[in-house]
Amino acid sequence: MANRRLPPHPSQIIDRSKPISFDYEGKRVSGYEGDTVASAMYASGIDVFGRSFKYHRPRGLLCVSGRCPNCMMNVDGTPNVRACACAAAGAERVTGQNAWPSVENDALSALQHFDRLMPVGFYYKTLVRPKAAWHLAEPVIRRVAGLGRVDPSRVPETEYEHVNAYADVAVVGGGPAGMSAALAAAGAGARVALIDEGPSLGGHLRYETLPHTVPGALMRFGERARGGGEDDYAALGYQMAKYLGDLVEGSGGIRGYTGASAMALYQDNMITVHQGSRIVKLRADKVVVATGAQESPPVFPNNDLPGIMLSSGALRLTNLYGVSPGSRGVIFTNCDDGLRAAAQLLNAGVSAHIVVDSRMRHTRPFAEDFRERNVTLLQGWKVVKAEGGKRLKSVLLESTREGAQRSVDCDFLCLAPNPEPVTALLSQADAKLTYDEVLGAMTPTRLPDSVYAAGDVTGFQDVEVHLLQGRIAGLKAAEASGAGSGEDALEDLASQLALVESVHRGELSSSPFRSTVGKRFGRTKRFVCLCEDVTEKDVRQAIDEGFGDVQSLKRYSTVSMGPCQGKMCHKSYTNLISEATGQGLESVGGTTPRPPFHPTPLGAIAGPGHMPFRMTPIHHAHVRAGGKMAEVGQWKRPHSYGDPIDEIKAVRNGVGIIDVSTLGKLDVVGKDAPTLLDRVYTHYFSNLRVGRIRYGVICSDSGIIMDDGTVTRLAEDHYYVTTGTGNIDLVEEWFRWWVVGTGMCAHVANVTPGFGAVNVAGPKARETLQKITDVDLSRDKFRYMGSARGEVAGVPALFLRVGFVGEAGWELHFPAEYGEHVWESIMEAGEEFGISPFGVEAQRVLRLEKKHLIPGQDTDVMSNPLESDLEWAVKFEKEDFIGREALRQVSERGYRNRMVGFVMENGGVPEDGTPVLEHGWPVGKVTSSRFSPSIGKGFGLAWVPERLAAEGQLIEIRVPGGVGWARVRHEPVYDPKGVHLRE
Amino acid sequence: MSFLLSCPNCGSRSVNDFRYGGEVTARPSPGDSEEKWSAYFYVRKNAAGLQREWWYHKYGCRRWFQAERNTLNNRVSGTFWPGEGPAESSEGDA
Repeated sequence: MANRRLPPHPSQIIDRSKPISFDYEGKRVSGYEGDTVASAMYASGIDVFGRSFKYHRPRGLLCVSGRCPNCMMNVDGTPNVRACACAAAGAERVTGQNAWPSVENDALSALQHFDRLMPVGFYYKTLVRPKAAWHLAEPVIRRVAGLGRVDPSRVPETEYEHVNAYADVAVVGGGPAGMSAALAAAGAGARVALIDEGPSLGGHLRYETLPHTVPGALMRFGERARGGGEDDYAALGYQMAKYLGDLVEGSGGIRGYTGASAMALYQDNMITVHQGSRIVKLRADKVVVATGAQESPPVFPNNDLPGIMLSSGALRLTNLYGVSPGSRGVIFTNCDDGLRAAAQLLNAGVSAHIVVDSRMRHTRPFAEDFRERNVTLLQGWKVVKAEGGKRLKSVLLESTREGAQRSVDCDFLCLAPNPEPVTALLSQADAKLTYDEVLGAMTPTRLPDSVYAAGDVTGFQDVEVHLLQGRIAGLKAAEASGAGSGEDALEDLASQLALVESVHRGELSSSPFRSTVGKRFGRTKRFVCLCEDVTEKDVRQAIDEGFGDVQSLKRYSTVSMGPCQGKMCHKSYTNLISEATGQGLESVGGTTPRPPFHPTPLGAIAGPGHMPFRMTPIHHAHVRAGGKMAEVGQWKRPHSYGDPIDEIKAVRNGVGIIDVSTLGKLDVVGKDAPTLLDRVYTHYFSNLRVGRIRYGVICSDSGIIMDDGTVTRLAEDHYYVTTGTGNIDLVEEWFRWWVVGTGMCAHVANVTPGFGAVNVAGPKARETLQKITDVDLSRDKFRYMGSARGEVAGVPALFLRVGFVGEAGWELHFPAEYGEHVWESIMEAGEEFGISPFGVEAQRVLRLEKKHLIPGQDTDVMSNPLESDLEWAVKFEKEDFIGREALRQVSERGYRNRMVGFVMENGGVPEDGTPVLEHGWPVGKVTSSRFSPSIGKGFGLAWVPERLAAEGQLIEIRVPGGVGWARVRHEPVYDPKGVHLRE
Repeated sequence: MSFLLSCPNCGSRSVNDFRYGGEVTARPSPGDSEEKWSAYFYVRKNAAGLQREWWYHKYGCRRWFQAERNTLNNRVSGTFWPGEGPAESSEGDA
């Protein structure tokens, strides 16, 4: 195969001393470090990089910037990688996509001859009737048309992460305008973030070998400019990129993000940046958008042949990778940038013999240059057709004046249409875009307050203009952000800019460029949208069928809906609509540029799969004891330490200990603390005696149970509140909500992580604890629902005598630091009584035997305390509490459902959540059910209609394999009178 | 959502730092009619435009405040402690 490498040049970024190679469909492709997969392949003579979506036409390198859909390949298992933006070093195995048997020889390319069967709006017209037709055809269509395939068995190794970042001024785009803006803003004292897609800063300067004028007022760099102002200098593009890049790097105030794309600009200047495996959420006070401009291919027959390339792509190949786009070329342009591109290609030793300029304007310096090199410059001519198979063979040229035609042999055609400003981010920021006849582009004419624009995105294509625009935008943004102001006089810069802009405008030809060609050449395809294989014929037909509005045209024809999201076709189809409907481009408008700007891996958007969890201060002791840890809300808790039944027996017959550090804990202090608690709880707490504990229920104002827990009065103005595990944030918010704006003196502090807690319960709990505390735990001194402060194992603790599990026991709350010490001390003290730690499962059974409900498990968003068998905790005597009115309405209308206990008569143990039946119909549900070791039967809690709620009522419950019968039982199955509890 | 909200205590922060507490409503008094209570429980104005609403600075000072926000474009015109700020345009609530 051909070797297309050019001689070395300082602008090139490949390192010829470091060869690399990778496998492409069984062949070895070699290149150099610095190459992309695509540049190495192209250098070794490969022309066909992919097959088109629908017709399987061969496609070659077009944009060489990761924007067009042509070179998507599978690289080491990852599909749809833009080979032109993927570093070759590190790649091992590259394969083609959407082709059979290979990209080079794709049998499915025969499909292009059946295009009449696939008209525009195919999905809406074909295979509609009979209905089954679509279902038969769909799998075939999906296989034949498409992109790369995802291998579901492959586990990506990438560790994605999300990062937050802040800047006074964010600059999107690291070309001359962006770097100038960043340097100005940083110089003025602002913290700057500079985001650029390229592997290094410079933008288009990186691959430019011609000089640009540098306004001397900005930097004295390069040689004195010929014919420029006295203070003006000139510098070669790639040298300027390096020079400015070094300045940026040396500036302390600029944080550079290279190889990074700004996916979107959201409200209040939130920019999401995709950089490799990372998403940076960058919040900036001010944003300078310097996103540049991009070329898109004009429409003519066979405009998609391999060998046809955008001029920026050809320059990248040539000047970055030292690869010639071909051996005999034609350059087609309608702007001075195209002539500059031609000159640079010729400088690099690329052989092009004809430059076609559709304008008539005389451009002397270039004309002279071309004549000296024996290159024909055709002015007022156009390329009207391309010919070839898997590669371009010739182009047909036509004079725009007399219509004369000539065919020219060539193996590459370099397209240099007037580039289109990349305004996606500006549109998202709600900037107004207006069509500028002179510049031939949609340009921003009204920007939001905190957004500035500079560079090619403004429609001007002159680096001197860009540097000045950037400097002004950077200074303005820095000043507006309050971060500082530069020494430059903004007025001077502005007048200088006005001058060069007007010179530039004056120089511009006003002949507008039409990307479409009116002539038809039989059935030869003229592509508008390369991603979806939408041709000019399709677009015209869709417009004829009434889809002349951009939004409906897009949806009907799928134009712009492919991987490039309109980057390569937006200009063409808006021009076509304008031409066909007679509307101006401004009223044609455009489709919405939605995020992300570039395709972004879903993994990056999803971010790290980390689920942070919380560990109690006793966590490691549980792990050592063989606890089987389960996730309970944010927490890890022991489900059990072996057999839950053994743990239950230990609690009922001896002593057990459970870590309850996960309980939410609130400290409520202040002279109005009693008032607050009376208001948020259904029960009274103002009349609770100091040192006593009371159970309480919190309801929403519509009477729904939100949480329950115990409240201990530590002092007249001081309460200690516990909440359900996982409910603490909600309860804290709730308390604060009812304090705010009332003037109540009540301070709420969440002390959950500050305290560890254990519950020691069972007939031997007293004896166990008494060994390691001086607090008198005797039956008469320390009564049920009482509290005391004291030491346990030398640690200050709060003793709460509560009875969630139904045995005499104490909840001990102590500083979290002592968690394991307290745990181990109690375990040691209880050894002689056969103490056993118990887990969440045992606790669930123990509390269920006492008929204690768990909000969220046994209640839902319809459950009120009256129907939940908690009437005793609702005090209507209070004039007001949160939920009172709603509960009063419930009590007036009568109960509809009720939570009841049940004991199975037969059928075993139903599963949690199974229905309660009446005549075979579900009328209620089981919320918790287990086997009760105390009565040796299945039992639980269930919601049933009021008519089934009477004591002794038989209810039918679905059980595994059939139905079972249960009897309603209002009393707890264990210790209904609370004798053990008060022991 | 990416807009900024200015906590009266902490200053400007990302909206992700806050919890939304719904539109500001006036709670009826005990003894008010059942209709009034029912409307308070279940009826919201769901304004398309300016709305006075509750916010809680969850990942900050943990204080509740009110904001005036345009629900059509998420532009926040001001934040206040309850009872402060411009008179609420939503007096018809109660």
